[in-house]
Amino acid sequence: MEQRETLTLQQLQQRINRLITCDATRDVWVTAELSDVAVRGGHCYMELLQKDQDGAVTLAKARGIIWSSALKGISAKFHAVTGRPLATGLKVMVRVTATYHPVYGFSLQITDIDPAYTMGDLLRRRAEIINRLRSEGILEQNRSLEWTAVPQRIAVISAPGAAGYGDFVNQLLNNPHKLRFAVKLFPAVMQGDRTPSTVIAALEAIAMDSEEWDCVVIIRGGGATSDLASFEDYDLAAAVAMYPLPVVIGIGHERDITVLDYVANMRVKTPTAAAEWLVGRGESALSTLRDLGNAIALGSSEKIAGAMHRLAYFEGLLPVLPMQTLERRKAQLLTVTSQLGAVAGRIGPHMARLDAMAASLLTATATITDRRRARLDALEQIASALSPAATLARGYSITRVDGHAVTRAESLSRGQTVTTILADGSFTSTVN
Amino acid sequence: MPETPVFTPVETMSYTQAVTELENILRTMQSDKCDIDLLACYTRRATELLESCRSRLTATDAELREILASLGV
Repeated sequence: MEQRETLTLQQLQQRINRLITCDATRDVWVTAELSDVAVRGGHCYMELLQKDQDGAVTLAKARGIIWSSALKGISAKFHAVTGRPLATGLKVMVRVTATYHPVYGFSLQITDIDPAYTMGDLLRRRAEIINRLRSEGILEQNRSLEWTAVPQRIAVISAPGAAGYGDFVNQLLNNPHKLRFAVKLFPAVMQGDRTPSTVIAALEAIAMDSEEWDCVVIIRGGGATSDLASFEDYDLAAAVAMYPLPVVIGIGHERDITVLDYVANMRVKTPTAAAEWLVGRGESALSTLRDLGNAIALGSSEKIAGAMHRLAYFEGLLPVLPMQTLERRKAQLLTVTSQLGAVAGRIGPHMARLDAMAASLLTATATITDRRRARLDALEQIASALSPAATLARGYSITRVDGHAVTRAESLSRGQTVTTILADGSFTSTVN
Repeated sequence: MPETPVFTPVETMSYTQAVTELENILRTMQSDKCDIDLLACYTRRATELLESCRSRLTATDAELREILASLGV
């Protein structure tokens, strides 16, 4: 048998370890996506992934560990900026050192984190979802829904048994005004990958009886801040945006905004705040009722007081009214009389003008008549000067035969009898 | 006597309708149109509407206990 070099497994791994742990793999900043984050025995274990452009194919994968000695500092630093813990789905920039363990194999020890990278990625992803919803015209849809006058029938989407749901129900039903609320829980997973699909399924279940509900409240347990990344989901955001009932979101704390806060009708910080808001609406309705009742009572008593006042007024008038009326009528008569006098005064000038017009009419008529008569006289003189009688008087005569005037001697024949007319008479003679 | 107005039965009205009618009654009372003969009639109607609205908003203690029990919280 040929003599060959043989190593124990441990020896081989020591070689591998020497190859792996060198300056090139020490304290390297690397970007990766987190998966399967879990804390065990004070240490935080996770998978670091690199996926392809579409996020469908895993291109690279490595185990990551944050030792308990570093975990507290890294967690606090990360949470201070992003408002959330390390969780599946987040993109991170971490400082790692490659290690190799004879039993546990290859892993990356995480010694530092740059939370700004994660924040930038989250904001970019959220902005993408919001822009898409806006371009589809549904971003404002749920926000512009009208609320019913007083929302009292509340469909709740939450994890069953979660503290947040209990807080919500207690706050809602133990309100000082004993406002009546009907509440029903539609359970969903509120953490991790199944969040969008189970919340959407719950929304669909409520929508089946949407007539039965005034609004939907999506809340989750209080306690430690937890992973909100699963809510940064386009499908879930679109489902909320297009939901036919107003949606109230109470899944985060002060800084933990998710894309749902941009599309839901109402955003509150905690489940308790959601209940307080609903109670507030009921209280304001009650106070409106109280004001209306008071105003109507006041209006009614004012009406009666007014009527009484008027009656009292008439009662006071009764003894003096008849005399006052008589006096007033008398005064009215006087006024009318004096007004009549004024009317007569106004007629006088008109009468005078009429008289003057009559006189001038007469004068005008006489003048015209005289002028016409003078003209007639003149015509008569001319006529009489031209008349046959005047001609005869001047020595002329007219000779007639058978009644016709003779104007030519040759028209006469011998033996004819002619009549000659003179100014003062006539005679006959015979033509020779 | 003016004719007594005919009112819709309260139980068939929505909360919003009832509140709207209350506002109308108030407006009528504040105007000069309100007939003194109808005052009692309007006031009675307003009380009825108010009672109905209030009882829709609030629950009795027994009801509240029942609701809490049914939720198992």
